Amino acid sequence: MTKRVLLAEDEPNIVESLTFLLERAGYQVSVQTDGRKALDAALSEPPDLLILDVMLPELSGYEVLRHLRTDRRGETLPVVMLTAKGQRADRETAMDCGADLFITKPFANSDIISAVEGLIDGRNG
Amino acid sequence: MQHSILGARIRQRRRELAVTQAELARRIGISPSYLNLIEWNKRRIAGRLLQRTAQALQLPLDDLEGADERPLYDTLTGLAHQPVMRKLGVEGERTNELIGRFPGWARALGELSRTERQANERAQRLSERLANDPHLSETVHRMLTRITAVRSTTEILTEYADLPEERRTRFNRIVHEEIRTLSDVGEALAAYLDRTDDAEPVLTPLDEVGSLFADRGNRFVEIDEAAQPLNAMLGDPRPVSRRQTARQLVQDSLEGLIDSLIANQPQIRTAAARGRARRALLDYAVAAVLMPVDEFAPRAAQSRYDIEVLAEDFTVEVETVCRRLAALPPADDVPRFGYFRANAAGTIIEMLGLEGLAVPRYTTGCPLWVLFRAQQSPEAVIRQRVLFPSGERFVFAARARHTGPSGFGRPRHYITDMIVTNEADARHTVYDPDPSATVEEVGPGCRLCPRETCLHRVEDPLAE
Repeated sequence: MTKRVLLAEDEPNIVESLTFLLERAGYQVSVQTDGRKALDAALSEPPDLLILDVMLPELSGYEVLRHLRTDRRGETLPVVMLTAKGQRADRETAMDCGADLFITKPFANSDIISAVEGLIDGRNG
Repeated sequence: MQHSILGARIRQRRRELAVTQAELARRIGISPSYLNLIEWNKRRIAGRLLQRTAQALQLPLDDLEGADERPLYDTLTGLAHQPVMRKLGVEGERTNELIGRFPGWARALGELSRTERQANERAQRLSERLANDPHLSETVHRMLTRITAVRSTTEILTEYADLPEERRTRFNRIVHEEIRTLSDVGEALAAYLDRTDDAEPVLTPLDEVGSLFADRGNRFVEIDEAAQPLNAMLGDPRPVSRRQTARQLVQDSLEGLIDSLIANQPQIRTAAARGRARRALLDYAVAAVLMPVDEFAPRAAQSRYDIEVLAEDFTVEVETVCRRLAALPPADDVPRFGYFRANAAGTIIEMLGLEGLAVPRYTTGCPLWVLFRAQQSPEAVIRQRVLFPSGERFVFAARARHTGPSGFGRPRHYITDMIVTNEADARHTVYDPDPSATVEEVGPGCRLCPRETCLHRVEDPLAE
């Protein structure tokens, strides 16, 4: 069965390239461009994995993740966080909030795909 | 005067005049062996003997005492204190000899140390800013986002040979669009850095007002002069009424002056800063009416700059006295003061800086400053003698006071006022520490502080 990835990212061009890549890799992709909608979507119809940008309108990626981790439906959802900062403090915050992986922009496409595959396969393996 | 320079000065001058130790000893009426002890700083010399020595060496007393060399001595001693200098085995205890025997080299070293300190302070300000300036952080984020889109899209264009033509055109357009945006962001960033590439970068309204006060040495002569005659109109000796009258007088007579002063300041660029500057200068003017400089300066000197005595004398709050001290006209025998105010959260909410004292503008300060522990003993002035990593020594005097309404069961909120002066200037004040008083090694705040082994460090330094 095709695995579903929810992409929470507000930059349309990054959304376009990541959607293309993930679809090519065989995933079904849905997109949300603000934190509030991403949280609602992740809870109402939990995907197999969430790619979550830190800087999102309405609710930041950290806030989305904190809410997710306190809800039974999002407690164990694999989450890859994207940030453009890459400072140690941001990595620590992402991990404290419960991110499974942390990828710093600018990333290589292979970083994203291998992270997604690693987490989803790990979950199913 | 530090005794240690004196011996070297006597020896150096005697040699310049080609006078033997025995001859000079005879002229000043002591034994050659005693003079030898004086020249090697083994015995103190003062009073009439010192005067006779100055006379015999044909020097004014001040010259012999090396009053002019005091700042150089302090600078070089500070330099010798730095950990890196200790590692090099710098003979800090022989600074006096260096000054006495090689005054040119000593001055050159002092000058180098001063410029190095300035460069360090500037680098610290910039690195602090790079980490904390919200505009820069936002811009860097935007650039990295654009770069991400370009990188991801070009990788797709390169790696997927089977892309449909329509998709290929679309991705090419994205790359083109992102590169154009990236170039705009880069240009805006360059312009921003260019605009603020000066010694005192201006960012927030608070910074703008801070720059105005710093550039003016915390002092506005035109307001002082205009406020002086208003003091006679205060009348009523009750403090609250005097303060209200002073505020009214300022509003009636000095608002125009203050508005035109702000309008002409290049540091004040935004409407928010104009509002803040206006409030700060109105407060300055009220203080100038309550404590006109002609009356305040001599009284301050007489009380040896005791902030509590002055507050009582002028029936004003300690904070008003502190601000007035920071605005004293400069003179040789008048200490230069800085002023800090902090709340219980440890945030510095007001700062009238002092040259040479590095203070973080956007991050928390050093927890070792008495400014942050004075609230453990409210209503009492606590003095602290401090040594900064740069080798600069200062004396801090802090006092926490209760603010807001009082009453049983009400929460108590404290604010701390702190004056700061360099140690050399502190000798004119009641806060002059005894030479044996503990010197506490403090810093400007962890991010700017190079003390690697400090037990109170909570984060790594930015500039290593």
